[in-house]
Amino acid sequence: METAGRAPDVSAESARGVSRGPRLALLGILAICQRAYLTLWRQPVLIVSTMLFPVFYLVVLGNSLNRDLRNVPLAVVDEAGNALAVELRRGVLALETGRALVVAAFPADREEALADLRRGRYRGVWILPHGLSPSGPAPAFIGDNTDRFSYDALETALAEIWREAASPPSARTSESARLEAYPYLDYLTYLGPAVVCLAIFMGSMVAGGLQVIEDRMYGYHEGYLVTPVSTGAIVAGHMLAGSLVASLAGGLVLFVIAFFTPLPMATPEAIGGGLVTVFLTSLAISALWFCLFARARKSSVLRGMFGIINVLVFFPSGALYPVESYPKWLRVVADVNPLTYGMTALRDLLLRGAPVASCYAEWAFLLTFALVCGVLTQVLFRREV
Amino acid sequence: MNPIEAEKLTKRFGDTVADDAVTFAVRPGETYGLLGPNGAGKTTLVRMLTTLLRPTSGVARVAGHDVMKARAKVRASIGTVSQAETTDENLTVRENLSVHGKMYGLWGRGLSEIIERRLEQVGLWDRRDQLTRTLSGGMRRRLEIARGVLHSPHILFLDEPTSGLDPQSRRAVWEMLGDLKARDGSLAIVLTTHAMDEANYLCDRVAIMDSGKILCEDAPEALKRGLSTGERVVLETDRPIEGIDRDSILALGAVNWRTPAPASVEFEAQPGEGIGRLAAQLVEERGYRILHLAISPVTLEDVFFAYTGRALRGEN
Repeated sequence: METAGRAPDVSAESARGVSRGPRLALLGILAICQRAYLTLWRQPVLIVSTMLFPVFYLVVLGNSLNRDLRNVPLAVVDEAGNALAVELRRGVLALETGRALVVAAFPADREEALADLRRGRYRGVWILPHGLSPSGPAPAFIGDNTDRFSYDALETALAEIWREAASPPSARTSESARLEAYPYLDYLTYLGPAVVCLAIFMGSMVAGGLQVIEDRMYGYHEGYLVTPVSTGAIVAGHMLAGSLVASLAGGLVLFVIAFFTPLPMATPEAIGGGLVTVFLTSLAISALWFCLFARARKSSVLRGMFGIINVLVFFPSGALYPVESYPKWLRVVADVNPLTYGMTALRDLLLRGAPVASCYAEWAFLLTFALVCGVLTQVLFRREV
Repeated sequence: MNPIEAEKLTKRFGDTVADDAVTFAVRPGETYGLLGPNGAGKTTLVRMLTTLLRPTSGVARVAGHDVMKARAKVRASIGTVSQAETTDENLTVRENLSVHGKMYGLWGRGLSEIIERRLEQVGLWDRRDQLTRTLSGGMRRRLEIARGVLHSPHILFLDEPTSGLDPQSRRAVWEMLGDLKARDGSLAIVLTTHAMDEANYLCDRVAIMDSGKILCEDAPEALKRGLSTGERVVLETDRPIEGIDRDSILALGAVNWRTPAPASVEFEAQPGEGIGRLAAQLVEERGYRILHLAISPVTLEDVFFAYTGRALRGEN
C-alpha cells in the first residue's frame, strides 16, 4: 500500500515538519489565529462578553449617567406674595414646562417644605421671603447636597431666574459669545469610542490573556510547544490571535455605533482610519495582556488581577472623562496607557473629523507599545512545561 | 543510528531527583515501554526527550539531534501524545488536525490529504466534522494519536496512552498503534504506562523504572524468564504431601512452600522450567491422586513487583 504512513505525496522534508524559517513561522502564526477565530464563534459566552457587553455598557451607562437632569422635585415657598415673587414663580414654571428640569410644588408652609426636603420628597426648597425685593431680602435656596448633580443644577438655574428678575435690563452684562466647534454631541456619542475601546479591552483579555492561561492549564499548550515553530512565532501568533478577536469585537461595535448614533463627522475615510486604530489598539492591548500573563498558570490569577488592570487601563484612558482633568500622577498612567492613544485617535477621527494623518503619532505609539510588549513576552515566555 | 540515545540523563527539581543518570537507547522501529509506579520519573524522562524540560545533566540524542542544542530539529522529528488533552474541544476533528498540521509546516491540499489518511487510520474520518467535545474518551484519544503522527514523525512518544479508557477503547488504541507500526516499520514508539498488560502487548522492550532509575530493561518475555520465582503452582491431592515427597519437589526448585489446607500446597518456581508440571508428574508417580492443579504463569506484574516492591509510593 502506498500509504506507508509517510505521506508520499508530500516531500519527506516537509511532511516531517523540517520546513523552517519564515514559512513555518507564518504557518504557525496562521494556525494559532485560525484556532482563535474558529473557537470564538463556538463559544457564545465569549461573543456576549466581548461584543454585546460593551454595547449594553454604552446603552446603560450613557442613559443613566451624565444625561441632562430632568424632573428634579423642587418646592417654592412664596412668603412674599408680591409682583417680584410672581415673576420668580413664573420663571420656575418655565423651567418645568421648558427644559423639564424641575417638577415644581408650591407649599404654603416653609417648615413643612423643609421637613419634606429631609424626607427626600424635594431635592431643593426655594424660599421667597417677606419683603422680597432686588435690594432687600433675597430668595434662599436650601438644597439636598447628598445629590450633588441636582443641587448644582437647581442652584444655577434658580440663581439665573433671580438675576434676570432682580436686575434692571440696563444692568445686565452681555454674555460672552459661544460657538461650538462641532455639531451637537450627546454623552452617548461621546462614549462611543470608549465603548469601542471597552470591546477591544474585553476581547483581548479573553483571547489574548485568558485563552493563553487556559491553554497552559488544560495542556493544549503542550501541543504547540513540542512543534518546531519558533517561540517568537508562537508569541506573535497569540498576540495576533488576541488582536484578531479584539478587532472583530471593536470593529463590530464601531459599526453599531456608526449606524445607530449620530456620528456627524464619520466619513468613510474616518471609519477606515477608525478600523486601523481598532486593529492597532487591539494589538497593543493583546500584547499587554499576554505580557502580563506570560507565566501565569492559573486563570484565578487573571480573575484576581482583572479588576486592578481594568482600573489601571480602562478608566485612566479618557474613556469616561477627559484626560486633561486628571491629577498629575494619574496623567502619567494615562500617558503610557495604549488605550489612551486608541481613544484619542478614535475621538479625533469619528467625533472631530480629523484627517487620518493626524493619528499617525497615536498609531506609532500603539505599534511601538505592541512591539516592546512582544519582545518582553518572548523573553518571559517559557518553552518548557 | 538509534532513534533515541540517552546517557546519564538527570533531572533535579530542587532537592528531588526525578531522573537519576538514566542511560538507555531505543532501537529503530522498536516500541519501548517505560514502566513504573507513579513518581518513578517516566513522564519527566519523556519531557526531557521531547524538549519540554531541560535536563539538569547528561546527554540525550533524539533522531540524532541533541535535545539541548538542536531543539527545533528534535521537535520536527517527534510526535507526542501527552496525558493532557492537546486537542481543542471547540474545534471539529478535522479543524484540530488542520491547526496542528500547520505547526509542522504542512499546508493546503497536501495537509488535507494527510488529514484524511490519518483520520481513516484511526477510524474517525466519519466524524471529521463533529465537534471534538462530542467525542467519547476513546475517540478523543485516537484523535490525539492522529495528531501525534500527523506529520509522520520518526519517533512517537505516548504518555500513558490508555489511562482512563474502557477495555474496548484500550484495545482499539492498541490495535491502532499496531496498525501504525505495520504501515511504517521505521517508526519508533516510546510509551510510558503502569498497565502491565499494555506493556506486555505493545512493547518490544520494557524498562522498569523506580525512583528515577531504570532497574531492568529487556523484552517482556526475557524479563519474566529472568525471575528466579514467580510461577505459582497450586496442588490439591487426596492426602497431604509430606516427608520425602515434599523434599523431592523442593529439590526440583520449588520455593515459598505453603500448606493453606492439610491436603493442599502452594509453591512458587522459576518460570519457564516446567517445575509445576514436573511436580505434578512426581506426585502422581508416588501414588497421590491429584484433585486440582493450577499453574499460573509469571506475569509482567510479577516482574514489576519483584523490582519495585509492593510498598505504596510516598508511604515507605
